[in-house]
Amino acid sequence: MNRILSKSQNIENSTNKRHRKEKRFKSLCLGAVIVAILFLIILLSSLAYKGLSGFTKTTIQIPIYFNEEIIDPENTRDIAVINKASFRKIFKQSLLQKFPEAKDNRKMYRNISKIFSRGSTYLLKKMVLDDISLIGKTINVDLISSSTIDQLRKNNINIKVPESDRPVSDATLKIYDQLNTEGVIKKRLNFSFFKYGDSRNPEEAGILGALLGSMFTLIITLLLSFPIGVLTAIYLEEFAPKNKFTYFIEININNLAAVPSIVFGLLGLAIFLNFFGLPRSVPLTGGLVLTLMTLPTVIISSRASLKAVPPTIREAALGLGASKLQAVFNHVVPSAAPGMFTGTIIGMARALGETAPLLLMGMVAFIVEVPTSIFDPATVLPAQIYLWADSPERGFVEKTSAAIIVLVLFLIIMNSLAIWLRRKFEVRW
Amino acid sequence: MNTTLLTILIISLSIFAFYYAVYKIKSAQSLNTKHRPLHSYYGWYCLFWTIFPALLFFCLWTFCSSIWIDKTIINIITLSINEEGATNISLQLNAIKNAANGILTDQVPKEILSNYISLNQKSEFIRFIATLGIAIIGLFFLIRKINPDLRARNKIESILMVLMFIASFIAIIVTLGIVLSLLFETLKFFSDVSPFEFFFGTTWSPQIALREDQVAASGSFGAIPVFTGTLLITIIAMCVAIPIGLLAAIYLAEYASQRTRTIVKPLLEILAGIPTVVYGFFAALTVGPFIRNIGETFGLSIASESALAAGLVMGIMIIPFISSLSDDVISAVPNSLREGSYGLGATKYETIILVIFPAALPGIIGSILLATSRAIGETMIVVMAAGLTAKLTANPLESVTTVTVQIVTLLIGDHEFDSSKTMAAFALGLTLFIITLILNVIALKVVLKYREKYE
Amino acid sequence: MKKLIILCAIVFMFSFTSHARNQISVVGSSTVYPFSTVVAENFGRDTGMKTPKIESTGSGGGMKLFCAGLGVNHPDITNSSRRIKKSELEKCSKAGIEVVEIKVGYDGIVIANSKKSEKFNLSKRDIFLALAKDVPEGNAEGGKLIPNPNKTWKEVNSNLPDIKIEVLGPPPTSGTRDAFNELAIEGGCKTFPNLKAIKKEDKKKYKAICRAVREDGVYIEAGENDNLIVQKLAENKNALGVFGFSFLAENEDKIQGSNIDGNEPTFENIASKAYPVSRPLYFYIKNAHVDVIPGIREFVEAYTSDDAFGPDGYLSERGLIPMPDEEREFFRKSGQEMIILDKL
Repeated sequence: MNRILSKSQNIENSTNKRHRKEKRFKSLCLGAVIVAILFLIILLSSLAYKGLSGFTKTTIQIPIYFNEEIIDPENTRDIAVINKASFRKIFKQSLLQKFPEAKDNRKMYRNISKIFSRGSTYLLKKMVLDDISLIGKTINVDLISSSTIDQLRKNNINIKVPESDRPVSDATLKIYDQLNTEGVIKKRLNFSFFKYGDSRNPEEAGILGALLGSMFTLIITLLLSFPIGVLTAIYLEEFAPKNKFTYFIEININNLAAVPSIVFGLLGLAIFLNFFGLPRSVPLTGGLVLTLMTLPTVIISSRASLKAVPPTIREAALGLGASKLQAVFNHVVPSAAPGMFTGTIIGMARALGETAPLLLMGMVAFIVEVPTSIFDPATVLPAQIYLWADSPERGFVEKTSAAIIVLVLFLIIMNSLAIWLRRKFEVRW
Repeated sequence: MNTTLLTILIISLSIFAFYYAVYKIKSAQSLNTKHRPLHSYYGWYCLFWTIFPALLFFCLWTFCSSIWIDKTIINIITLSINEEGATNISLQLNAIKNAANGILTDQVPKEILSNYISLNQKSEFIRFIATLGIAIIGLFFLIRKINPDLRARNKIESILMVLMFIASFIAIIVTLGIVLSLLFETLKFFSDVSPFEFFFGTTWSPQIALREDQVAASGSFGAIPVFTGTLLITIIAMCVAIPIGLLAAIYLAEYASQRTRTIVKPLLEILAGIPTVVYGFFAALTVGPFIRNIGETFGLSIASESALAAGLVMGIMIIPFISSLSDDVISAVPNSLREGSYGLGATKYETIILVIFPAALPGIIGSILLATSRAIGETMIVVMAAGLTAKLTANPLESVTTVTVQIVTLLIGDHEFDSSKTMAAFALGLTLFIITLILNVIALKVVLKYREKYE
Repeated sequence: MKKLIILCAIVFMFSFTSHARNQISVVGSSTVYPFSTVVAENFGRDTGMKTPKIESTGSGGGMKLFCAGLGVNHPDITNSSRRIKKSELEKCSKAGIEVVEIKVGYDGIVIANSKKSEKFNLSKRDIFLALAKDVPEGNAEGGKLIPNPNKTWKEVNSNLPDIKIEVLGPPPTSGTRDAFNELAIEGGCKTFPNLKAIKKEDKKKYKAICRAVREDGVYIEAGENDNLIVQKLAENKNALGVFGFSFLAENEDKIQGSNIDGNEPTFENIASKAYPVSRPLYFYIKNAHVDVIPGIREFVEAYTSDDAFGPDGYLSERGLIPMPDEEREFFRKSGQEMIILDKL
């Protein structure tokens, strides 16, 4: 009796122990997830903290007189004439009207004009070209401030240091304060950030060119690497004879993922640009190179998920009279699809963040025009980030973070699409 | 314009082909009830023969005609304006093409320009008509052939086999291309620097003459410190990524509710997609100084550039490689195994460790290998947080460098690009390739040994 | 069948080859990149032509692309932070390329540290003693060469503060590093008569002594991202950093440039060569492409106008140090007449 009791007690004890172990393990696993998510939150919030101000800009409203005598003295209203007109003069005239004290004081005029973006004159020209009736009128225009003033408003410039050590002089600061009390300095959302391509003036720089460039490039990459990768994986896993050669190929493909990405760039340079003579700097060639780079990831993960499909599925399909191809494509592949999608997501995420191979394909470049097709010169988001991060101008610091936020959003959108697909296909046995 | 219209026409033709073929086979079948073939195969077969020859012709024609037009124009140019001297023909051609697009350069003679434009128009017209024609012929030919005796499935299957074969062919070509290109450039490098120095030297300092008058500080190419640096950083990264990634994968696959899993998994995948510049700044400006400050409180003098900072942050970056892929593999383990284990009274922990883990081992090893590869291939974090100084050390608190970082800096620096010393990059690349190859082989062997194959 | 589809794929690739280009294509140095891009942007806006495409590939990679051949698939201009090499020029002429050389100005190289600590007053000799691989024993003239034992600035020069030597600078593959080695470290080396004497006997040995930078962790190769070096300096008040002048000019509220031989790294001092460490920047034009690719002549004209690379031009606002008047005039003329560089 006693022995039986102690045995059951033993079992109970060990069961308790086992359950405690179980609980510990579960909380350990949960801890791992939490740690990983914590890292994500830290990274994203530091990004948001630094980058969100990049989505706003500072404008200064001043009256601009579109003097007919300067723009179009002969009243032709011809676009060619307006194109040639000196809008610098218009700008100067209006500024002097606003600040009469700077009339014969060249230094002061320079200080004042430094408050405005270097692109102001082009903005005025564009306004007139868009609406010819402006000529001869005086209207209040919201001009974009220069990057330094923008940084000043965002408190990114330390004004307590001596004058020689900061980008704004005391005189400029005085004018800024004067304008500020007049209430003409405003903070606005920087929509032009999403409307234009790159610029060397931080206040005018936009992300659209790089965004479209990334999109075109990734479309090419996806269209090529997904089918080629998945078909290769299926062939190697299900159909290819298992011999020394396929073993060699398998190991090599596994190994490709460890080849530094710039080597793919060199191969792409040799094949696509030098041999096939495809144009430089276009999303087409960029996409092709990224395909070379993404293929191994897609192949490896697709093979892994094909391996994980239980053989019973194949055998059952074959037993019911399906052909080998039917068994594979109608039964095995759908079960393996989630893994294939995961591999593609990770591969594409890497392709989206890659600059080194694109450097050799000419896509790390200053390109102002926004691309409209896969044959137009374009740059990509990470290349744009890399270039901005390396620019001396202070204003590019927040633009860099803002561009990174755009990249992450792009990634999230791309992933959610794939995740939706993954969920649709997932099966458990 | 022309091509857009053509694309729309071809696509609508192919849709028509598909549905008409399905319709036809259905009505044919009702007469003959003996066969019960799957309808959609006929549709696909018909669609294939509508699109494929037309597409092939389109590309061939574009290719050949553009070459032919270029040749013709070049002939005219050489006849008429060659007296000017040796200006490049392809540039002349470009000027004409630009002129055809409305960007007038004065150099272009009018008659050549009009000749070019008319040739181009003719070629496009023929292309349009012929492509459409071929598509229609293919369609009619196939539709006539459709009857229940046609083995459409076999045909489709052979087309699929061909497609798969081509895909594998491309993948294999890419693989061989990478290996061969590394090999050739490496041989070039070893004709300049002895392999003995490269493999056994312990100082790495690739100083190369930048200018002609400069007597090169000869530079030394001992690769050992570069490889130990890689090893050090990779080990640190894997120490972070493997436990977190694997445990997270187990939680997601075995413990979490379906809802949590669908939310958390993609969230973690974002980690892999955050650009490495961000990680680089994070490692260099947050983690690096943090480690230095901690070290200072313990009286240690730590450089703000350390392998530890780079490795830790890199580990975070590759968590999703392990967590997502392992999660997929663990989820794919048949439920019957779990239920069997529970039925014998095992706890979840025991089931996971003793049953599921061995079954999922190949996939898990695969994901770890992939993550390791990614860690080895990463450059930006290392450049920013660990520096570029190649130092032979096992101390994670010192600054080290990795192979890939050296490859990138050698290739995009200000050096003369072809100098055989720049080729050191390829020697590094090939050595890395061989090392990871050996690792892969070992991993495969391990998998074969410990894998539990059920069913 | 298989062959047919492979053929199809190849043909498909080739079908994109024929392609016209009406945009100037520039490649090359990342140091010249910030200046060329400003010119390009203004050029695009003023003329209404397509804005030139400017790649940042590094001087070496740029030269390789540039000298690969003539034609639309090759770049028209390459930027370089060093002069073209003889071997490169030969490769160019072998490919039938005639090269026009334009020097755009100078880039100052500064040694800076955080504003939170005191400003350094360095001599070239101090820099040599602090950073060279081998220094004379006891830091004294005539001493035997030993591996650099100096750990703090005070050991180098008793007037300097007693803090650990820690210098963040570019890697050996960078042109900035090369110029720094030549002008600062070698400059300090020359102040030792016995070391200078070696130059006459054995040039190679001299360079090996006077150009080698120590590799024991005191000099940290920090990559080419100068912004990162600036931020690291702001974090770590004991470290010094070596980078381009424009980054100092933009960040003077956080960091300060050290004086070298008593001269402050200011715009004026670098332009007058009183501050000794600066290097020339160039770009090279393919003569055969001029007048065929639209806009090259106008672009070069815009670049070499006083509005751009002159003393009050917009490039000087971005940190480019202008050349003296005659030199500017010379290169403006070479740009206008496309004077071909046939010998170095």
